[in-house]
Amino acid sequence: MTAPLPPSTHPHADVIHRLEAGGSMLPDTPENLMQIIGIYKAYAVPMDFYWRDLLYIGERVFLEPLPFFKYFLSKPYLDRHNTYAGDQSTLRVWRGRGEAHPELMEFIDKGVSGRRLPRLLHHLGHDRINMEFAEACMRSMFWHEDINPKFNAYLYTEAYKTAADKAIKAYFKGNIAMLGLYKLFPEMFLEQVRQRSYYANLGLFWEVMAPVFFEMSDIYDEGGFKGVPDAMEFLVNGIFAVAGRPIYHHVYIGDECFEIIPKSAGFTWLYEAALPYVEAIFYRTTPFRGTKSYDAQMQQVPRDQADFHYGILYADVFPVGSAGIPPTLLMHDMMRFLPPYLEEYYHQHCRGEDDQLIQLGITFQRSMYNVTSAVIQALRAALYYPLDDSNPEHLMANRRFFEAQMDRLTRSEARLRDIQTADYR
Amino acid sequence: MILTLLIGLPLLGALAVILFPATKAKLVALWGAGIPLIWNIWLFSQFDLGNSHFQWGESATWLPVLGLNYELGIDGLGLLMVALNTFLTWIAIYSARPDVDRPRLFYFLMLLTSSVISGAFLAQNFLLFFLFYEACLIPLYLLINIWGGERRSYAATKFLIYTAISGALILIGGFGLLWLGGAENFSYAALAKTSLPVQKQVLLLLPLAIGFGIKVPMVPLHTWLPDTYVAASTPVAIMLGGVLAKLGTYGLLRFGFSLLPDGWAVIAPWIAIWAAMTIIYCAFLAIVQRDIKRMVAYSSVSHMGYVLLGSAAGNDLSLSGCIAQMVAHGLVLAILFNLVGLIEAKVGSRELDQLNGLMNPVRGLPFVSATLLLGAMSSAGIPGLVSFAAEFAVFQGSYRVFHWQALMGVVGTGLTAVYFVILLNRTCFGRLDNQRAYFPKVSFNEKAPALILVTVIIALGVQPNWLFRWSEPREVKAIEIVPRNQQTVTLEDIGGLLLGSTEAPKIVD
Repeated sequence: MTAPLPPSTHPHADVIHRLEAGGSMLPDTPENLMQIIGIYKAYAVPMDFYWRDLLYIGERVFLEPLPFFKYFLSKPYLDRHNTYAGDQSTLRVWRGRGEAHPELMEFIDKGVSGRRLPRLLHHLGHDRINMEFAEACMRSMFWHEDINPKFNAYLYTEAYKTAADKAIKAYFKGNIAMLGLYKLFPEMFLEQVRQRSYYANLGLFWEVMAPVFFEMSDIYDEGGFKGVPDAMEFLVNGIFAVAGRPIYHHVYIGDECFEIIPKSAGFTWLYEAALPYVEAIFYRTTPFRGTKSYDAQMQQVPRDQADFHYGILYADVFPVGSAGIPPTLLMHDMMRFLPPYLEEYYHQHCRGEDDQLIQLGITFQRSMYNVTSAVIQALRAALYYPLDDSNPEHLMANRRFFEAQMDRLTRSEARLRDIQTADYR
Repeated sequence: MILTLLIGLPLLGALAVILFPATKAKLVALWGAGIPLIWNIWLFSQFDLGNSHFQWGESATWLPVLGLNYELGIDGLGLLMVALNTFLTWIAIYSARPDVDRPRLFYFLMLLTSSVISGAFLAQNFLLFFLFYEACLIPLYLLINIWGGERRSYAATKFLIYTAISGALILIGGFGLLWLGGAENFSYAALAKTSLPVQKQVLLLLPLAIGFGIKVPMVPLHTWLPDTYVAASTPVAIMLGGVLAKLGTYGLLRFGFSLLPDGWAVIAPWIAIWAAMTIIYCAFLAIVQRDIKRMVAYSSVSHMGYVLLGSAAGNDLSLSGCIAQMVAHGLVLAILFNLVGLIEAKVGSRELDQLNGLMNPVRGLPFVSATLLLGAMSSAGIPGLVSFAAEFAVFQGSYRVFHWQALMGVVGTGLTAVYFVILLNRTCFGRLDNQRAYFPKVSFNEKAPALILVTVIIALGVQPNWLFRWSEPREVKAIEIVPRNQQTVTLEDIGGLLLGSTEAPKIVD
């Protein structure tokens, strides 16, 4: 397929040629396939909690001034059926169950210790799903506002403010102190509601991704995927299957539903959730706290948000693994749900069980390069031309697109070069 | 036999190593070093603290024509030095890599070294001391030359030449003691009975001071040390820095301070200046090093300066500190060399520019980093660790006599903190290099020597009396010998004494 074009001269030419052949940024090896599918499964279980709790916070906890129990997910939200999976789903795309995953339920019940203790004790002992990671992702999307212009602009419209105002007044009905504060500082409250809208946004995004990853794991266990491109292709198809899903923010106060962002606003899963998520979390985020000192005066932290490069694709997982910071929390969450074959694989390498956390962090990085590849291929399919197009100009346009994407990964911090070898663990 | 066992048991262990299969060599060697250590610990319980004389004396005629007899005895100083030797021998053997080449020969030589060093500390006859002193060169030369790192042949040869010269000078001093003093043989008791004029004492002290100064070593006689320590493998470096260097200061105390007290009082101010120079100069040298093993080596020389400073001051407190510092120095140096060896084995480098982020708990060497931090803190004299009380006693004792030299010593501890902060900051902190951080983990067996040393360093730091009490009887005796009142000695006086043209300064009571 690349025959009509001369070889690329890009520093990542080998990866670009692979993308042009329908492959992934991640080399197609059985080891890579095993690693990424294993980690998708381990990611899907906490993600099943993340999306439920994000929606719970956005819809129910809402503006609770002292939200001590926001991570204590209520039973209705654990039983809540996934929109695209489960027997009761009218829009069913994936075969998994609708309610929370059994492994998640068992973990919430007994924790790692296997002992049924009061929930508060599990929580205080960090024997729980670390929602802090999910919130850090949400904040990153919220903060990098330029990556989601349409959605973000809506948060400052009169329609949004009016809906938010109604919800705020209904939520604090009878609470003179909070209503008085709202009167004095309306923008502060509105900003909080905007943040809750991002809770809903990310919750709705992950509601789709969790069953996708579960199903990928099942297919792999059944011997369904033959290589990394197969796994990527499954993701691309999944993206297109739900690309038009509405992104909305509803708040439930008592029995009443307040549509802060109605479905009719026209926001969709691909453009207002998935792409901003990838940009914010994979490419940008913010400097990971605790890994090193970032001196803003030495220009170590870019002035322009577009120049941020602290996402998972650039993350130095070694020091990250040593501090209680968001990616580490996710790594801790995933470690509890590793499939046995991945645990055994980690035991055979580096320091075995002792540095399993780091090894799985690097596997996660590999898997996210594969997810990013799926997004790049999906965008190419949406905006450019088929890979087997016979027109060389079209193929050149595809190449320019791939090269532009790879330009973002030529920084020395990017791990694209590292993941090309199996030695990076 | 009580003391002969301290020499004989390691020797038996060395022979046993040869007889057992190579795969069992380390285990046998550990027993060979462990039994004398247990014996040594038992001796502590039997040692009479109220007795300031040599205890458990043993004597056998050997070559009376030469004045050489097999005479052994032990006092507080000797007890501590032998204990340091037996303990660090066990630690050094434990620290040896399991895959060491030619293990039987290696452990044989290690135990042989330990045996002869114990002999030197226990000897009560100058010629016997000298035989042991020289005998340890052979196994150490082989240990450096066969199992050393880069430039090991050069380092081993340099070590041999320097220490051979040291031996020759000491021999001159020893013969001078006999001939000028008219003693009937080389036994310490006979040598102590001689009464030499101060002029002759100073003359005899010169070769002894230079000879033992090479062994300590003191600036500018130190140049063999960094090369040798760096080239030596970890166990050998522990023996060299932890034990062998103490033979130098032991010799100065035993032969210079105790046998030639008047002469010692004359040259003491110059020795104090020499010590201060060594402390400061080597601390600066340590600061500019890029190789952490070389940095530790220079730190070792700098800290031996404290021992010399304490012995120069010659009062009860400084002497207590001096002897305690010899032990503290041995312990701290052993842990530092052990850890540097571990870092080199795991990371593959000792260069500050290549080491970083080893404190990382998952992929770094957190235990090594933490114990390195503790070792560095102890070396810098942080309270609660073994060196604090020793250095404090040295400074307080020597300040009474040599103000400026003592203050330079205090500055030296500040400089110690500087180079160890550089070492720790570059090595342990910062970002772990993503490309290199695939170090093998440190096993419990590799951690064990450092763990044991940490325990001892903290225990003696919290309860320094366990360290100080043993040497007190010996000091009391020593103080009785050394003139208490300080005299002013100028360079002209020294020159005059050497040339015999002026009268020796009188000691004023």
